[in-house]
Amino acid sequence: MGEIKLTDVKKSFGALAVLKDIDLHIKDGEFVVFVGPSGCGKSTLLRTIAGLEKVSGGEIAIDGKRVNEVTAADRGLAMVFQSYALYPHMSVRQNLAFGLENSNMPKAEITERINEAARMLEIEAYMDRRPGQLSGGQRQRVAIGRAIVRRPTAFLLDEPLSNLDAELRVSTRAELAALHARLGSTMIYVTHDQVEAMTLAHRIVVMRAGKIEQVGTPLELYNEPANRFVAGFIGAPHMNFLGADVLAVSAGAATLSFSRGYRADLQIGKAKLHVGEKVTVGVRPQHLVVSDDPQHPAVKIYLVEALGSETVVHGDLGGEKVLAVLPGQQKLNAGDTVHFDLSKPVLHVFDDNGLRLFTHPGSGA
Amino acid sequence: MAPVNAVMRIIDVPLRRLQKATGIGGMATFFLAPNMLIFGIFVLLPLVINFVYSMTGGTAFFLSERDFIGGEQYSRLFQCQNYLDPMSCQEDAFWTAVGNTFWFVVLQVSLMILTALITALILNRELAARSFWRAVFFFPVLLSPVVVGLIWKWILQRQGLLNFGLYQFGMDPYTWLTDRNWTFAATIGVSLWAHMGFYALIILAGLQAIPKDLYEAAEMDGTKPARVFWRITLPLLAPNLLVVVVLALIKSVQVFDEIYVLTGGGPGTSTLFLTQYIYETGFASALRNPGLAAAASILMGGVLVVLTLIQLGIGKRGENKGKR
Ligand SMILES: Nc1ncnc2c1ncn2[C@@H]1O[C@H](COP(=O)(O)OP(=O)(O)O)[C@@H](O)[C@H]1O
Ligand SMILES: [Mg+2]
Repeated sequence: MGEIKLTDVKKSFGALAVLKDIDLHIKDGEFVVFVGPSGCGKSTLLRTIAGLEKVSGGEIAIDGKRVNEVTAADRGLAMVFQSYALYPHMSVRQNLAFGLENSNMPKAEITERINEAARMLEIEAYMDRRPGQLSGGQRQRVAIGRAIVRRPTAFLLDEPLSNLDAELRVSTRAELAALHARLGSTMIYVTHDQVEAMTLAHRIVVMRAGKIEQVGTPLELYNEPANRFVAGFIGAPHMNFLGADVLAVSAGAATLSFSRGYRADLQIGKAKLHVGEKVTVGVRPQHLVVSDDPQHPAVKIYLVEALGSETVVHGDLGGEKVLAVLPGQQKLNAGDTVHFDLSKPVLHVFDDNGLRLFTHPGSGA
Repeated sequence: MAPVNAVMRIIDVPLRRLQKATGIGGMATFFLAPNMLIFGIFVLLPLVINFVYSMTGGTAFFLSERDFIGGEQYSRLFQCQNYLDPMSCQEDAFWTAVGNTFWFVVLQVSLMILTALITALILNRELAARSFWRAVFFFPVLLSPVVVGLIWKWILQRQGLLNFGLYQFGMDPYTWLTDRNWTFAATIGVSLWAHMGFYALIILAGLQAIPKDLYEAAEMDGTKPARVFWRITLPLLAPNLLVVVVLALIKSVQVFDEIYVLTGGGPGTSTLFLTQYIYETGFASALRNPGLAAAASILMGGVLVVLTLIQLGIGKRGENKGKR
């Protein structure tokens, strides 16, 4: 079992409030990813769950039992550190055994667990080497192995892939997902990389400045971001944001006016809009479509990145920066002007406070 | 930057010429020469001269006025009926000094490592006014040895601070510095006090270089503090401890100034150490014998070289087995 429940968790370092009222329910066997910009408190949250930091308020419960006062060792969790934290003077085998020896486990069982983990992670060939004699990827596996042998109720992983090169990161990511499927234990994974979050998570917890901004499946966050921050953080490249005024509102529809007076008609569903209200319209770079109609907003291109499979266009729409990812290889150059039809793509509309009011479903490409 | 560039241009011209003339390898020699010269004049040359002195006899200071006598000074030092009994030797003071120095080194170095390690471990914890305590323990290191000797003489002498304190508490004063055992203990205590901060600092640096997350990993595994110390802290501290042992040992064998000021080698010869023997034999005694002093110092240097080589050998082996 590995159900973790956080209620109103707070953490301060002196006067600095790092975590503010965190409420979160992680189900047994779930793969949850904490994501957010650097310094938002992800590691701190993970470390309070681990028991390496004491909470300043609120409650942490594992499998229904309050663990605030329980030591890190007795919470039954295992942590994989960003730096791996392998003991440099011990062999891989000794590193794996060290934690088990603390609990007076019989030698035979220690050996069995180590061998099983070594097989699973394919680290058998270098069990007698020291961490200093291993590559980054190998060390990473040993660090995960050290967590596995403890058979924890949940794994806590703090940016475990951040020290690997890009290629290894992608392959290890896939292996981690497979490992989770095989072990079936709860995993909490911290990263600042939203791609890692999207590919690994059952549910993503988006954090900012010590607060949870939104919790949801990767596609929920992508399709229905709760606010401008989540919309901008999830998805690569980042969503474009354009300022707009509400010109007219009728039942289920509204007309927005963008800079330079460009207009678009949006379906607003049941959302309430007022004429004259200022809103922000978010559109993903992949959703923008080029139009031949010169009535549509003009974008002056200042940079074209041809990636072969797609073409990334950096441009300027009435003073606001926009980025478009167009399919295939486009015959466009810096200095050209293109027109984007703003009623066709999915548009997320946010109010003054950044909260999402509604999403215009668009009409596709 | 302009003045820097101007200076560089001026230096540049002759250096380029020189390099053309001597080649790249010659430049290395050119840059190393000043250092080598200083090392040669102030270290290597005296060493050689000292060796020559040890082969000569008489009381004259100038080498030209001294007679060559070969290994006679050495055989005089080793002239003994029974090496375990200094009194049976011709140079009984030498062997007394050797014995005293041996016990001093054994006790002082082991206590030094122990106290420095404990102090560093304490100073490495989260404690109130940590910087203050670090400064307090390091402060005696900054004192001149003579000052150290005088401070402790002032405390330990018959009408000193310690006896004054005892008197205040209604206890009998004691003549600490005329008691052989107390005085010997005092020499160890004072030299610990005077140098411990330095070694604690080296160990503290080693402790701080151990990554915090190793301890957190151990904490997650429920490792008991004693096991953390023996299995994590101590092995990772080994390189620093080796440095401490080497330095402490060398310094301990050479012990002289603060003890000389404090006890003058007494009472009797109970705190007479090798360096003091060498100093008195060569310079201070009525019947000075520079040749004998030189021979004794060559022997002492030889012992230090052997000790250091052994320790470096141990260190190398540990390193090869170890991390990288
Ligand atoms: N031990 C600590 N003492 C004081 N401030 C800390 C400590 N640990 C973290 N912080 C602060 O808490 C904030 C969140 O840190 P962290 O949880 O490491 O962020 P993240 O992992 O999201 O990058 C940062 O502003 C950091 O400076
Ligand atoms: Mg972090």
